[in-house]
Amino acid sequence: MKSKLGNHVIAGEGRPPWYRSDGQNCDCYIVGIAGGSASGKTSVAQRIIKNLNVPWVVLLSMDSFYKDLTPEEVEIAHRNDWDFDSPNSYDYDLLLETVTKLKEGKQVDVPIYDFETHKRVPNKVNTVYGANVIIFEGIFGLYDKKVLEMMDLKVFVDTDVDICLARRIKRDVAERGFDVSGVLKLYQRFVKPSYDTYVYPTKKSADVVIPRGLENLVAIDLLTKHIQRQLQERKMQSRWDMARICPPEELPSNVLVLEETKQIKGLHTIIRDIETSRHDFIFYADRLATLVIERALNELPYEPKDVETPTKKTVHGLGLKAHIAGVSILRAGGTMENGLRRVIRDAVIGKILIQTDPYNGEPQLHYCKLPPTIREANTFIFLMDAVVGTGAAGLMAIRVLLDHDVPEDRIVFLSFLAAPQGLHTISRAFPRVKIVTSYVDPILNPDTLYLEPGLGNFGDRYFGTEHD
Amino acid sequence: MAFQPPKQVIVLPQTQQLKACTTIIRDKNTQRADFIFYSDRIIRILVEEGLNHLPVVEKTVVTPTGKEFHGIDFQGRICGVSIMRAGESMEQGLRDVCRSVRIGKILIQRDEETALPKLYYAKFPPDIASRFCLLLDPMLATGGSAIKAIETLIDYGVAEERILFLNLISCPEGIAAVVAKFPAMKIVTAEIDAGLDEKLYINPGLGDFGCRYFGTDK
Repeated sequence: MKSKLGNHVIAGEGRPPWYRSDGQNCDCYIVGIAGGSASGKTSVAQRIIKNLNVPWVVLLSMDSFYKDLTPEEVEIAHRNDWDFDSPNSYDYDLLLETVTKLKEGKQVDVPIYDFETHKRVPNKVNTVYGANVIIFEGIFGLYDKKVLEMMDLKVFVDTDVDICLARRIKRDVAERGFDVSGVLKLYQRFVKPSYDTYVYPTKKSADVVIPRGLENLVAIDLLTKHIQRQLQERKMQSRWDMARICPPEELPSNVLVLEETKQIKGLHTIIRDIETSRHDFIFYADRLATLVIERALNELPYEPKDVETPTKKTVHGLGLKAHIAGVSILRAGGTMENGLRRVIRDAVIGKILIQTDPYNGEPQLHYCKLPPTIREANTFIFLMDAVVGTGAAGLMAIRVLLDHDVPEDRIVFLSFLAAPQGLHTISRAFPRVKIVTSYVDPILNPDTLYLEPGLGNFGDRYFGTEHD
Repeated sequence: MAFQPPKQVIVLPQTQQLKACTTIIRDKNTQRADFIFYSDRIIRILVEEGLNHLPVVEKTVVTPTGKEFHGIDFQGRICGVSIMRAGESMEQGLRDVCRSVRIGKILIQRDEETALPKLYYAKFPPDIASRFCLLLDPMLATGGSAIKAIETLIDYGVAEERILFLNLISCPEGIAAVVAKFPAMKIVTAEIDAGLDEKLYINPGLGDFGCRYFGTDK
């Protein structure tokens, strides 16, 4: 999908909210696919993904969870005497941990298995985040009881064993450098006994059995429709409802509004004025951002620190006991980065692109690149957005950080301007996130979702993309 | 803090992050790049606070949503005046907040014969008498050169109550001397130290600010 609205292009579909309005994750939808070797599991999975045609589906292969072999075992494997078709070849603990975290919507690191060395590639993983649907496939896909319990849909691909063998011979000779007798030797020694003893019985656990594998277009089509319907039922339409919530009078206790000095009021007068030139808008926005960041810094932990001055006097001072990583919610949150760098010269900065779906007003996650230091002890995240309206984008961004194992109380959410609705929504969901803003406006227009009196579209005015 | 500053003195809110910044610039082991960076940060906060004490009028503007915002507008024009050389270190911070602000300069040195501060050079915007002056000197020790600088401004027609004296570190002796002489003027300072030592340096202070900022110390 590619939509074009004036000068605004959104290519592809972002990830719609995967959490409820209280900020808790909805479980990710997990499809398990099992079947014999060369039965067409992967092809079926790929066809389902293609039919679903949304980017937030992840294919997870059981091959990634092979155990590391010892040097002796590698020798045996290289002589083709190692039984890779045994259910004992897999690391079920790691598999269970991975699937559990994925189910909870967490970011996970999936190992990469090297079939040459028969070991996991050291220091290299596939980082998977942002899946609403996981398709998990492997010959033992339906074997482990605990993993099975987490699946929403269990599929067994039941292709005729003769066809499987024929495909396997063809594939292993063409792609894996075997000769026919080698393939048959392995088949008779390991593949067939394992299939009969362990794999085929897992068919009993399946919800759906697909005869003939990939050829069975009707079955795959039915499966796809079922998954789509399930996802539709889980879909949340929260943003517009949020705007209509009548918030309590008082702001939540985790919200800090900058003291309304003449400076703050004067700066707001300039950036709100429709007549203000972009040149001035940027200058005064940067100044305001610096003040917001300075205010937020006071919420971090400090420790006593003694230093000696050049005149050899001792000073009992303070030192910041924290590291800071900025994360801007693009596009408008990027306008606070200048202010951040004025105060924390070398702050690392992550980015999260969240855009509003033009058709239903829901936020969608399009892109996320976070610094690896975000979950280190003593690192605080300054999550930056320009204006907090319904709080929908902030909620999504905080959810992204939590999914990456950032503790809730180490997130400080910063903005220039906020509406009470958004502040309450975020505080209710994440009461331990500190929120710092320079001004609170009384009205969130439920039709335009602009704050009133507000300042219009902050990003447009800062980056100069507004219509004249 | 045992010393109760007079009402003319505005001390910045003693927040933790301000204290952490002054700790860095006081530390003799702080590298020059950090010294400059953290000094500039404090100076920006000083200037922001100083501007809070200028007169304002109400102003209503229309926002892009078509609604009115009842804000304020600053009355009167300002200019910076730095006491050379150390005061010039505060110009960057001033410009970060007040873009293209006019800046006057005053050079005051100790007279070899009388040991009193003597005016060597002054250059101001021609209309300085009609402006609010932000007088810049990072350290207020005895107050000798500050008093000389303020006298010079008054000579040029600036009203005493239109002068804001901004400094990072001050001490009771300097504050008392300046306030006694110019009770209508305001002083904005980041921290007030215990006092002066026998060499008339601020104790604990941070050494020679100008030398550390401009890199002319050994």
